[in-house]
Amino acid sequence: MTTVPLTTFQKRSPLRVVVWAVPLALLLVVLPWAVDPYQTILVAYGLVMAIAVLGFNLLLGYTGLLSFGHSAYFGVGAYAVAFMVKYFHVESMELFLVGAVVASTLVTVLFGYACVRYTRIFFSILTLALSQVLWSLAYKFYGVTGGSDGLRVPTPKLLGIVNPVGEDKIRFLTHGYYYYVLVVFTLCVAVMWLVVHSPFGMALQSIRDNETRAQFIGLRIRAYRLVAFLVSGVFTGIAGALWVPLNGLTTPDILYWPFSGEIVFMAVLGGFRNFTGPIVGAVVFNWLKTYAVGATVYWQALLGFVLVVLVMVLPTGIVGSIKLLWARARGRAFR
Amino acid sequence: MDILVVHLFNALLYASVLFLIAGGLSLIYGVMRIVNLAHGNLFALGAFATAWAIGQLFAGSDSAWLFLLLPTGAILAALLGAVLEPTLLRPFYRRPEEYQLLVTFGLLMILEDLIRFVFGAYPRSASVLFEKAGSLHVGEYVYPRYNLMVIAIGGLAALFLWAFIYRTKFGVVLRATSQDMRRASALGVNVNLVYVQAFTIGCFMAGLAGSIIVPGQSAVLGMGVDALVLSFIVVVIGGLGSLEGALVGALIVGIIREIGISVFPEIELAVLYLIAAGVLFVRPAGLFGRAA
Amino acid sequence: MPTRREFLAQLGVTTAAVGGAAAGIGVSGIAQAQEKPKGTIPDKPFRIGHMTFFTGAGAVLGEPMYKGNLLAAEEINAQGGLLGKRKIEILKADEAAGTDANTKEMRRLRLSEKVDMFMGITSSGNTPALGPIAEELKLLTIFIDGCTDFLFDKAVPNPRYIFRSTNIQSADGSTCALGVAMTWPEIKTYAHIHPDYAYGRNCYDHFTVVTKKMLPKAKSVSEAWPKLFSTDFTPHITKTLAAKPDLLVTSLWGGDYVAFYKQALQHGLFGKMKVATTLGLGSVPQAIGKDHPEGVLSGVHANYHFTYPAGNRWPLNKNFVEKYKAKFDEYPNFQAEGAYTATHVLKTAVEKANRLTGGWPDDDAIIGQLEGMMYAGPGGYVYIRPDNHQGYKDAITGFSKNVPEYPFPILDPNRIITIPIRNVTAPPGWPKGEPTSTYTWIDQTWPQMKA
Repeated sequence: MTTVPLTTFQKRSPLRVVVWAVPLALLLVVLPWAVDPYQTILVAYGLVMAIAVLGFNLLLGYTGLLSFGHSAYFGVGAYAVAFMVKYFHVESMELFLVGAVVASTLVTVLFGYACVRYTRIFFSILTLALSQVLWSLAYKFYGVTGGSDGLRVPTPKLLGIVNPVGEDKIRFLTHGYYYYVLVVFTLCVAVMWLVVHSPFGMALQSIRDNETRAQFIGLRIRAYRLVAFLVSGVFTGIAGALWVPLNGLTTPDILYWPFSGEIVFMAVLGGFRNFTGPIVGAVVFNWLKTYAVGATVYWQALLGFVLVVLVMVLPTGIVGSIKLLWARARGRAFR
Repeated sequence: MDILVVHLFNALLYASVLFLIAGGLSLIYGVMRIVNLAHGNLFALGAFATAWAIGQLFAGSDSAWLFLLLPTGAILAALLGAVLEPTLLRPFYRRPEEYQLLVTFGLLMILEDLIRFVFGAYPRSASVLFEKAGSLHVGEYVYPRYNLMVIAIGGLAALFLWAFIYRTKFGVVLRATSQDMRRASALGVNVNLVYVQAFTIGCFMAGLAGSIIVPGQSAVLGMGVDALVLSFIVVVIGGLGSLEGALVGALIVGIIREIGISVFPEIELAVLYLIAAGVLFVRPAGLFGRAA
Repeated sequence: MPTRREFLAQLGVTTAAVGGAAAGIGVSGIAQAQEKPKGTIPDKPFRIGHMTFFTGAGAVLGEPMYKGNLLAAEEINAQGGLLGKRKIEILKADEAAGTDANTKEMRRLRLSEKVDMFMGITSSGNTPALGPIAEELKLLTIFIDGCTDFLFDKAVPNPRYIFRSTNIQSADGSTCALGVAMTWPEIKTYAHIHPDYAYGRNCYDHFTVVTKKMLPKAKSVSEAWPKLFSTDFTPHITKTLAAKPDLLVTSLWGGDYVAFYKQALQHGLFGKMKVATTLGLGSVPQAIGKDHPEGVLSGVHANYHFTYPAGNRWPLNKNFVEKYKAKFDEYPNFQAEGAYTATHVLKTAVEKANRLTGGWPDDDAIIGQLEGMMYAGPGGYVYIRPDNHQGYKDAITGFSKNVPEYPFPILDPNRIITIPIRNVTAPPGWPKGEPTSTYTWIDQTWPQMKA
């Protein structure tokens, strides 16, 4: 695997981040008042998916493992929420998140233990096969999972505050829930930032770049990969839990392997060699798919075409390409 | 006792088709180290093209002529493969393999809609051949002759491929390239040519699978995606890159599916994935594969 | 304790020789002289978001649904539009994008495109997802299919903005079972082949509970659950043959059913047992060939087959079929009829509301007119029950027969079976139950026949 070291983030000073991060944060905060409700809800979806792809990219960008089965953890998070509603009549969003973390930890450890023994194509295929097992179980045990009908999840309580029945759900989504998602998203970004900048994150990258050398300096490859897998899966599980109240329903769709493909698409779209790439990719893909579905019956071909062009022409993704252009522009300015 | 023979035929029927698809996938991987996620859609394309040729374009013709039209889908798939490899795949050989997966995933999506665009939204069939072949008696049961023909074609294809790969000069070149591409190139092999030939053969196999199965079944949108997952299971069990593995894997999948449906009807969906996962846990390279 | 024949008569299960629709119920909505609408009507177009399967294996049902909507819209627009002023515009959306994308798309249609109304949906996985979303968006909606009982049983038990025009899913299995009980009461064993998803399970459940009541001696000897949209049914056919049942009941539909019957023919299955289907002839009438055996109890989703009501006895159907055939060069299926009727139901509701209030009626007024409406459509009278907003019309099923007029089999006009749906589904006031309200209602209230 060719190595493109992530030098940019290492050299970046905090000041440079502030330049674009602060206006963006401000925009996100005032969004419900700045744009119409539909766009706000769409951004909420985008932020949720961003958490999932951020988690996914810990494996791809930083550890060098392409998982084609991340729909499994997303689904585990979503179904954990649905089961908590169905069997324990839980209503609190906080408990949902806890439940999703617990469930996705269990599943990730189980799957990860098997998967991290392998790399490259075998890793990808194994992750796909395991996610399909979960899909078929969710589809099959309709008594428990509702099968293809799915399971309903009513409006949750945020921080214990009940949303009175009959109140405008749209307003709930664009105001209350949107901010809740924004906060969780910010926390997740912060945690992931710490993870990839920690010695652990560095070790992952060295394993990615040269496995043999990493082994020689004493890193236990499998253990590191397993922990990365775990963190990755839990992030995606949290995203699944946040996603469910937006739709009010979870179905086996989200466990089916093309959804894993979409997650990969999002990471590549944003640029999987960068920290912020997955976030940008998730938000943009979300918007792109919604636009495509609304525009034409052949939305699948449209997305496929975008993917092919992307991979051919802009392999570093949106963020990567912007960085390249920016670096080139600055280079010229100094000549 | 007769029923067991019927069950065996069913399993062989399924295995024949799966072998052709998975064998193509495995061949492509073995030579080129590419997992073509769009492979299933070449199967679908083969099915639709043949169904269109037999069921629509030349509908009502003499059945002997219609039989000759069977390979239409296979030829079309092969042509498409010959076009796609140099244009879409070659730029990615030097790139990390993630990109190959992604470009073939994009291709999958494009082909899905392309099939719908060209052949329409309704299922297509070419059942006239299935009906013309009639049925024969297996004890007290009646069995369609056409299914036996498919099994025969599958068997012949396996034999032909084996001979091709192990008994011809081209096969030697193919194997050499798959074992060590650089050395083969250094010895004067035109690797680009070998690659496009291998890819074309792989696509031909997938298209052939679609073509021969469609008279007995039908061409339905989405069949490509389903086929891909199944062929994945086969190569996981048999080993990616190995034709013997594809054959054995296809037989195992066919038999287990048949048993599953007969004895444990509820489990039909899950059992194949479980088996694949199980094999991957224990022997990740598959029964005949090499852990490349 | 009634005998089986008495009970069937009580339920209203009749074999009609040629389109004997129940007579004498007060009907609104039959073509009346065009009155001028009251008050001022804006001439802004009336936008309908129509979501159904345009791609994927479900397109075999989705395309006709859209076509029915389109045909009705064109008829209405030819007279100037709704209330003569507002032309109908249809925005298409592909249901195959998946439940998540569909939810976003419905929101987009309402919040961004500002559609006035939503129609469509084929898959039963999507109505329970989209129903609550439509309610929260306050979007007037008529679902054409997505017939699962789950929608009004659990997902939206007290609907306000959403309606459904075609018959509820539980009717399929029940209708099939009643047809079997009426025609072949002597069977002792039966086998199942159902697609492995909610619809297949629903048919299995309801067929089983009704057969338990009507034919207590009959029992199931084999089950097979092929994946939806499979194309190879050989193992399932073999399994069924090995069990040697008297009857096979199957809810395979669309391309699945076509592949199935062709394979079954070559295995000699039809000669060895009776066959009853819930949706055999209903999804794509012209896809079934004349090689299809006659005398198969062929369901049409308990909804509609274009040959019934037949000919001049029910002009609404004759006109509809002719226009549909002329425009699309195919025959309408139940989805097409459902969408066509739903569009006209909307038009009628709008007109009636306008006569009461004047001007363009708001959604509440339209809803008020939809609830309790009895409308005469091509398929017969459809009644929209006010409590659950579900459409009820006579369920029909029949026996496949080849006739010279058509290049494909139709329902034998001399042996059509009709059943008033209201008699075989859970009535208002019945508590919601598992797996469906209708199931518990049948299980708990129907008498058990003796052998």
